[in-house]
Amino acid sequence: MSEDEATEETEATDATRRSLEDWGRASYVPATRTQDGDRYLRVTRGMVLTPLRLVGWLALFVLFVAIPDIASLSPGIQQRVLHQGVLFGLAAVGLNVLLRHTKLVSFGHAAFFGTGAYTAAVLATHFDVTSMVLLLAAATLLGTLMAGVIGFLSLRHTGLYFSLLTLAFGQLLYAIANGQSVLGGSDGLSVRPGEANRATLFGAEFGADVYSVVVYYLTVLVVVVALFVMWRIVNSPFGKALDAIGQDRTRAQFIGIPVRKYVLAAFVLSGVYGGVAGGMYGLVQQHVRPESTLYFLRSGEILFMAILGGFGTLVGPLVGGVVLVFLQDVGRDFTSYFDALTGVVLILLVFGFPRGIVGSLQSGSGLRQRASAFVDDPTVVGDWVENAVVATTAALARAKQNLWILVFGVR
Amino acid sequence: MVVDVANFATHTLNGLQYGFILFLIASGLTIILGILDVLNLAHGELYAVGAYVASSVFGYVTGILASPEGVAGLAVFLVVALIAAVVAAAVLIPLGIALESLFLRPLYERNEVYQLVLTFGLLLVLKDVNKFIWGVRSVRASEIYSGINAIPAAEFVGLNFPTFKIVIIVVGATVVLGLFYFFNRTKTGRIIRATAIDREMATAIGVSTDRTFTLVFAMGAFFAGFAGAMALPQSQATLEMGANPLVLSFVVIVIGGLGSLRGAFVGAMIVGLLSRWAVWQYPPAEIAAPFAIMALILLVKPNGLFGTWGETA
Repeated sequence: MSEDEATEETEATDATRRSLEDWGRASYVPATRTQDGDRYLRVTRGMVLTPLRLVGWLALFVLFVAIPDIASLSPGIQQRVLHQGVLFGLAAVGLNVLLRHTKLVSFGHAAFFGTGAYTAAVLATHFDVTSMVLLLAAATLLGTLMAGVIGFLSLRHTGLYFSLLTLAFGQLLYAIANGQSVLGGSDGLSVRPGEANRATLFGAEFGADVYSVVVYYLTVLVVVVALFVMWRIVNSPFGKALDAIGQDRTRAQFIGIPVRKYVLAAFVLSGVYGGVAGGMYGLVQQHVRPESTLYFLRSGEILFMAILGGFGTLVGPLVGGVVLVFLQDVGRDFTSYFDALTGVVLILLVFGFPRGIVGSLQSGSGLRQRASAFVDDPTVVGDWVENAVVATTAALARAKQNLWILVFGVR
Repeated sequence: MVVDVANFATHTLNGLQYGFILFLIASGLTIILGILDVLNLAHGELYAVGAYVASSVFGYVTGILASPEGVAGLAVFLVVALIAAVVAAAVLIPLGIALESLFLRPLYERNEVYQLVLTFGLLLVLKDVNKFIWGVRSVRASEIYSGINAIPAAEFVGLNFPTFKIVIIVVGATVVLGLFYFFNRTKTGRIIRATAIDREMATAIGVSTDRTFTLVFAMGAFFAGFAGAMALPQSQATLEMGANPLVLSFVVIVIGGLGSLRGAFVGAMIVGLLSRWAVWQYPPAEIAAPFAIMALILLVKPNGLFGTWGETA
């Protein structure tokens, strides 16, 4: 193919893509359209999917809804563990606003998660608030306020200073929760309000089994709404402005984007997600400890969930949350070296799947290319293994040579 | 509030020795950050590995020199214990070289997020390596502690203070002076600083950045391990021991300015003294104090006390 033809072709696909986008943005009414022999579905304004993808999303949603049933079938899968993963994943979805769009690495997201969880716990223990909705609303509100304060103080900085400052504020909250007897110290607080020792939904009380299922479906509702809202936000002009800020702050400032205000708004938004996830966590676990909600390793985990799932995608962090929590829990059952298992997964992630789980499944990723190469010619695996061995031996040889030179000098 | 002078002196000395331990850890973290531009989350685990290796080496040493007696015996014991700590820390050098050349080197050109993920993965793996070799039970080296404490030192001034902590202060001060001498006066130290200031220019005049990076990482690992070896006798080695020093050394290097060795020293002293005074006056503030101080300093001086690494060490 000559160069002209190639240019013509990209221009043509660009035009098709653009007309498809225009059609997608034209109306809120669902519709279908056939273009170049492919069918496209407009679910709502701005959301255009191929039928295959729509089926994939629906399947994922059904799986998500059916988790309590699946968990009751198999003893290896616990609803509580998956539920916890979903909640940390939700916090990671919030963190991803900063990571994906403004390119800020927050290392203190457990602060908002913990604030939400502790708000629910304090209200339930000391004020005997029994309504789930009220507990969640308060948790979200306090998480948001906390994000406002921490964001205001730490967003003067970028890069590592920002990461370390958020970490410091997170640890400060951890220290406070650990030291105050009102907050239960290191034992934490329980979330068991009322006579039934369980929160109620619109005045209805539940037994232990029903309670966990009800809370799960409340989570499903919250997560679906949260993802939809997030999708709307990142595709809005505000989301594009955040992208611009992430690419180059100074230029974004020049073209008139109020950088500080927008970044603070993004930070507070991520705090909302952290707060609501934390509040839900309090309802699910019915006990909140500083170790499990506010410790800096939790912040790290929330960050790594986003990366593991794929921080370039919307649902990636959620998937990452479920996978990481599940991995830690399952690992605990079959080896005492479950930490190393997680560690190895993270190292493999860095070298093998830098775009994360969901990112790797998208078209154009290294994994997809490799998969298609493998389908074309399975012997290519031999080449990969050979390349890996060669790279490792080369690295070791370099290390040996460097050690030699460091110890004995060049001559 | 009545402040007892002897009490004050004891807690200040405690703070100083704690500060020197923190400096040993944070110095490695800060030079790795200043030169490699990598925030090494596995640094706390390197400290833990140092403590565990030291427990084995110390066990071997105390097996040979039973209970020391007399001036000469005590002096020999002290020297041998210090050599043992250095030997234990030296184990970290090949480990550091391997980690840097195998795992970190391919990542310098990539998004810093991946460096965080990788070093966190290494943290988890190293933690379980410790678990695999030394088991889940905590490990002690109390013979070293009591052996060195048999040397009467602080009693001369009428103070009841363990000699081992004085040894830490002296050794720590020596390391501080040594590091400043190394970075300001020796050729290798200047090459490292030049690489930190301008990587490309250093390469242009014939410095191998690969080698410099490996050396710096190995140095950082060595000092983390040495800190572990020095901190072990007065407490114990546990699997969770890496987390707190890691976070505190973040605080230390942020207070001092990322990558600044002088800043790390000042920061370590501030954090060490404050946390020990807090333990004495108002114990609940112990965990919170360093972070509160860090937030305050950053609000006043956004780049820390001494800015970044570069023209001066």
